[in-house]
Amino acid sequence: MIQVHRNSSTAYDVRIKVVGLGGAGGNVLDRLLLDGLHNAELIAINTDAQALTASVVEQKVQIGRTTTRGLGAGGDPELGYAAAEEGVEEIRNAIEGAQLVFLCVGLGGGTGSGAARIVASLAREQKALVVAFATLPFAFEGRRRRAQADEALAALQRYSDVVIHFENDRMGDAVAPLAGIHEAFATADQTVSQSIRAIIRLMHQRGLVHIGFDEIVTALRGSGEAGAHCVFGFGEADGDNRAHEALTRALKNPLMDKGRMLEDARNILVNVAGGPSTTLNEVQILMEELNRHISDQTRLLFGAAVDPALGQKISVTILSALQGAPAAAVPVAPRPAARVESAPVSVTPAPAPAAPVSLAPVREPVVIERTPEPVAPVEPAIAARIVEPPVTTRIPEPVVVERTHEPVVAERIPEPEIIEHIPEPEPEPVPRRVSRVRPVREPESEPEPVYVDTATRAPHMPTPVAAEAAPLYTEPAPAPASEHARGPKQPKPKPTLAKQEQMQFEPVTRGRFEKSEPTIVDGQDLDVPTFLRRNVKVK
Amino acid sequence: MARDSIVVGLEIGTSKICVVVGETRGDGTIRILGVGQAPSRGVRKGEIVDFETAGKCIREALVDAEEKSDVMIGSVYLGVTGAHIAGFNNRGAVSIPEDRDEICEEDFEDVQASAREVSIPAPNMFVHSLLQHYYVDGQDGVLNPIGMLGRKLEADFHIIHGVATRIKNSVRCVKEVGPEVLDVVFNPLATAQVLLDQNQKSLGALVVDFGGGTTDYLVYSDGAVQQSGSLAIGGDHITNDISLGLRIPMAKAERLKIEEGSVILGNARPGETIVLKDETGFAGKEIEREMLNTIIHCRVRETFELLKKRLDDEGHLPFLGAGLMLTGGCSLIKGINHLAEEIFGMPVHLTHAQTVSGLTSAFENPQFSTAIGIIKYADAMQPERPSGFFGRMRKKFSFFGLF
Repeated sequence: MIQVHRNSSTAYDVRIKVVGLGGAGGNVLDRLLLDGLHNAELIAINTDAQALTASVVEQKVQIGRTTTRGLGAGGDPELGYAAAEEGVEEIRNAIEGAQLVFLCVGLGGGTGSGAARIVASLAREQKALVVAFATLPFAFEGRRRRAQADEALAALQRYSDVVIHFENDRMGDAVAPLAGIHEAFATADQTVSQSIRAIIRLMHQRGLVHIGFDEIVTALRGSGEAGAHCVFGFGEADGDNRAHEALTRALKNPLMDKGRMLEDARNILVNVAGGPSTTLNEVQILMEELNRHISDQTRLLFGAAVDPALGQKISVTILSALQGAPAAAVPVAPRPAARVESAPVSVTPAPAPAAPVSLAPVREPVVIERTPEPVAPVEPAIAARIVEPPVTTRIPEPVVVERTHEPVVAERIPEPEIIEHIPEPEPEPVPRRVSRVRPVREPESEPEPVYVDTATRAPHMPTPVAAEAAPLYTEPAPAPASEHARGPKQPKPKPTLAKQEQMQFEPVTRGRFEKSEPTIVDGQDLDVPTFLRRNVKVK
Repeated sequence: MARDSIVVGLEIGTSKICVVVGETRGDGTIRILGVGQAPSRGVRKGEIVDFETAGKCIREALVDAEEKSDVMIGSVYLGVTGAHIAGFNNRGAVSIPEDRDEICEEDFEDVQASAREVSIPAPNMFVHSLLQHYYVDGQDGVLNPIGMLGRKLEADFHIIHGVATRIKNSVRCVKEVGPEVLDVVFNPLATAQVLLDQNQKSLGALVVDFGGGTTDYLVYSDGAVQQSGSLAIGGDHITNDISLGLRIPMAKAERLKIEEGSVILGNARPGETIVLKDETGFAGKEIEREMLNTIIHCRVRETFELLKKRLDDEGHLPFLGAGLMLTGGCSLIKGINHLAEEIFGMPVHLTHAQTVSGLTSAFENPQFSTAIGIIKYADAMQPERPSGFFGRMRKKFSFFGLF
């Protein structure tokens, strides 16, 4: 008998380090550690020696020994920045060898706001992918703190591959009004730690339908923008109705607003994991139910995995990012026009006058390494970060470009090109980054991720996009390339896509109630079977 | 006297007609003497659509009840329902005449009349005016204003009204069969009387009677009725959906619903089927369990969602401490309480008549909740025990309000 040993630990051996920066970051780490986290190293970085001592994390880095003399940064980002500069070597040593760095930081204070970008850029220096989890202060912490947080967030975005940010206010909503402030903060930490754990688990899990880092990035695209926020839900349940309950729990997450948030999301990542007893039926039911919460235009990135450790349980992880209010696009308004001119390869690396630049000047030249190859002609660091060559090269490939043509595209500054790495046949050269994403993903033998949503299936081919866009514009469907140019000129106020009404092939039937007085509520004839009206498939 | 304490409740339901004969005792408890029932025909969505057929069924049920309880039924209290019946809240106010400053009995009637001075659709009639609260000169929370000094008496009422001709048709249909109709009761009001105790009424509770033809609801809060109504969707719709969706006859669909139906999705093994045996005139069929459950789930979910939407309009839902009491034939569907819990976000109790004794088989069946409730209601309204007119009036007012 031939025995094949499959050593899962080597196949998925990605070195993950979780860095908690500042007071808030340290709290999240403590929470992570207490809740139990494997497969990752935890590193606490802080200026405040006392806080570091109190932390239960093993690996601790105190920065700014001379700058702050073991005290905190006192809410001053400048001080935090200086402290981090002083401690560059130590930080570098701590994160050395990591392939993936999770950076947990509470923005608004001194250490977190000041040092975050340095830590992020150091991590990149090590050629690690950086995923930042940033919490923004509660409204009651004052406007000054908020402004500091926003500035730091903008800077952080530039050095991280993905920034997931959590509004503390939103998480506070989940706490009972009478609960103490302590509890409100604890809930915030818990939500952050839960999502870190879920993402780590996603990457380590052997998937039937695998979800890799690229899918995660796609799902979270746009989460770093102003006004945007991350939607995250995780639920686990067992028992008879576990599929349903797991989903319900995931939707109950404070960042979810009972699933209402999902309606506006464009990309949603869903991972369903269960023990060996999970049935396809359960997954189907769960997805059907989830589909009720999302719009037809949403792209679902679906993953499924069997994890014997889950036993009788089913767990559901939902991850997505919501675009911010349209107002967020205002500061970057000039961008679309510039992009139109720079049509194909003739990328003019004009430093865009976009808001993010002014928010925080780039201090580390490290960044240049990170820009993808096609941008080779681009010289200065600032320009390299801001210009988005991928956008232009991407034109014939309409997957990523939302059909709404909001100028949103311009805001996807931090490395949108990773998104390109989806298992679709791509005409253009794949950016360098892709090769590095690989190890995180499955071995070749595993099935590739499957995009479930049929509505978004079509746009993978260039022509149907035009067809889809047709209801929006009265003009004849143009070539996809010109569609780009057209987008900014005709900004659509709302992404209202005309919904195709489904024709009833059978005459509407009321059966037993054919002759009785109809019951009509909100224009619906309730005597007609619900499943017919809601187009639930029977048989 | 013994004769007088016999009360008969008659409910003309969509799926069955039910007659409950009960004996009321001095201490307010009720003993069920017998229950008669007959399958209902000629009734759709809680309303009589075929006079003659319905009359026959009523007679059948009455005869059945007479046999079982050994009582001659001469008069009944009739429960009515239907989507045409609706409730709203209104405040009545009267000024106490100049020549006296003490509030007395007659002011009660005036204030009630004043509360009824509100426009309801022309063909409608009042079914109930249920007292909620008194105010004396703006003072809140007055339990019993008789004898109090004041210049102005106000009272909040929950007023239930329905289309007069339809209610009268039901009454006439019963009268033609034989017995007198002493009073009509809006079904959920009757149901609430047996499902809720005083404590639950003041804590706040939602009563949902998911019956055959209609889903009736009533909200108690602060010990008084706050909202009531009826949705013309019921178990019949579920059966109809099954029949159309699985292409099987109504009778088979009904049996399938009762014996196999569930609202829980994802519980069935993939491909699990239910086999319907072939009989004369029916070729037999295999039905996927998940399909059946999906159809039921869709309908029940929709019904609850519609109901929730209606209740949300008035905003009592978050303040119902005692939760949701689900009764009626459809409350027997498996898993329905979980679905209701999910949608309404409050504890759901599957209940049946609580405060009666006698035939346990009768009152433990949620199908009889309403008919038993009618007796309880009638008992509270009966003019025997309290002495004299004033006492009677007092009783009438205080029953729904403050006891």
